[in-house]
Amino acid sequence: MERKTKRLIGKILFEILIIGVACVYIYPVFLMFLNSVKPFNEVVLDAIALPKKLALENFSYVTDKMSYQTLFMNNVIITTIGILGIVGFASLASYILDRRRTKYTRFAHAFIITPMLIPFQTIMITLLKVMNVIHLSGSRVGLGIQYWGFGIPMAVFIYYNFMKTIPKELDESACIDGASTLRTFWSVIFPLLKPVTVTVIVLDVMWIWNDFLLPLLMVNSSVKTKTLVLAAYTFVGQFNTQWQYAMTAMVLAVVPSIIIFVLLQKYIVSGVVAGAIKG
Amino acid sequence: MRRKTKEKIETFAMTIPAMILISIMIYVPFVMSGYYSLTEWNGIAKIPKFIGLENFRTIFIGSQDFANAMIFTGKYTIIFMIFTNILALTLAVILVQKLKTANLLRGIFFVPYIMSMIIVGFIWKFIFTQGFAKIFEMTHWGFLNWSWLGDWNLSFFSVVMVGVWQSLGFYIVLYIAGLQAVPSDILEAAVVDGASPWKRFYKVTLPLLWPSITTCMFMSLTNSLKVFDIILALTKGGPGQATYSVTLNIYREAFQNNNYGLGSAESLVFFFVVLVLTQIVLKGFRSREVAM
Repeated sequence: MERKTKRLIGKILFEILIIGVACVYIYPVFLMFLNSVKPFNEVVLDAIALPKKLALENFSYVTDKMSYQTLFMNNVIITTIGILGIVGFASLASYILDRRRTKYTRFAHAFIITPMLIPFQTIMITLLKVMNVIHLSGSRVGLGIQYWGFGIPMAVFIYYNFMKTIPKELDESACIDGASTLRTFWSVIFPLLKPVTVTVIVLDVMWIWNDFLLPLLMVNSSVKTKTLVLAAYTFVGQFNTQWQYAMTAMVLAVVPSIIIFVLLQKYIVSGVVAGAIKG
Repeated sequence: MRRKTKEKIETFAMTIPAMILISIMIYVPFVMSGYYSLTEWNGIAKIPKFIGLENFRTIFIGSQDFANAMIFTGKYTIIFMIFTNILALTLAVILVQKLKTANLLRGIFFVPYIMSMIIVGFIWKFIFTQGFAKIFEMTHWGFLNWSWLGDWNLSFFSVVMVGVWQSLGFYIVLYIAGLQAVPSDILEAAVVDGASPWKRFYKVTLPLLWPSITTCMFMSLTNSLKVFDIILALTKGGPGQATYSVTLNIYREAFQNNNYGLGSAESLVFFFVVLVLTQIVLKGFRSREVAM
């Protein structure tokens, strides 16, 4: 009996220790939130104290100064366009690549997934030139379309591996019923791909929403096209002595991600795992 | 016969959009990089001047910049890989225990990973300057008063630390998935055979976890070789060039010094380095995986 209590106490102490570690770990994020609601003099005087006076006006000042609504919409537009294209093109291509095994599809498969080996920094210089020529730079829609090219290789890789697990008899019976290939894909196959589609969406939303370098090259010139992270970057650069505004801008940039994470934690974690293991 | 032709056209039509998009965004720029790497070009002149392999000569012999950036990136990569993998595996082993708050704790460690690396860099810049200064005033712990971003050697560790802090949650989650996949009957058999917890971990869990280790090693390698955002936000490559990474070097060479030719050449060298290193690591770790 006594050994059992000792063990229990040990277990509780262990858990408390881990909780302590987690608190220290997340403390920087907490400090960011804390200082975003403090007036200037309190931030400078004591960065870790709780606010004596809530300076919620930081938020109205910064949202105004950054034109937060425009930025938020820009992010939504760019991410949505990117995701729709990646999911649409990649799932359809993977379906065909898996079901029709010919010389051509083998070549096409290799052609599509090989770019996963090319680091973005290797092509960024000339990419900017190409995008200027075909007028995809400097616009939100253009940037969204660019993500198609960069997102499809990994998405095809993930979809293609999953496609094998869907029995071919399903398409055959749909075909006998007279459905076209597109129709079969859309109403029979695509719904069955849901778990992989979730993985692809999770990975790509996290990537596109937080991406920095590609937007920096393509849409940094105007607030009409900028993304949240870009705006936070410029803003912090301008206000690097006025930390309270910098912190507020950063909070505004990360809050959407945190809300999405809290709501969809289960899907995000399993999606990230599935993506990494398959990739 | 007609059906077959129709099928062929269909196959082509449904895969070609993906192939065209990838060609425009990736293959065309890649081939162009190959061409520009042989030229001197400021981005404005109509026709780049062909100079043969001169840019590669500059990279390998002429200038110390790229070599220094390579050394920094190499050091960063090694330290980053060691720390992330050891810490993530340790925390994963702890978090798969039956803790009451396990889910919450996993969530907490994952939060930095969902934030943009630029923001993470700025948060830490604030901590290193304002936060540490205040805690030092209260506790007088000497290390808090060091110049974490201003000192040549220390800034290296600051950058690594922030990098590890940001991505640790991702690797924890991967290791947890790996640990949960270890069949419990094998572990129970080891208990019956009288193996100690340490022995069970080394002889049973670790070998069965090897595929996860391969994945994490591979991911941490490619991610750390490409380190960019965090450095830009934290130190901008400074002090001096203490934290100047290869990607930052390519970016500066092209977009700030307007040496598009030299930048392209550097980007190609970077591509081959990444390709060779990832293949070596992948091969090395895969060969040690045990069959179940």
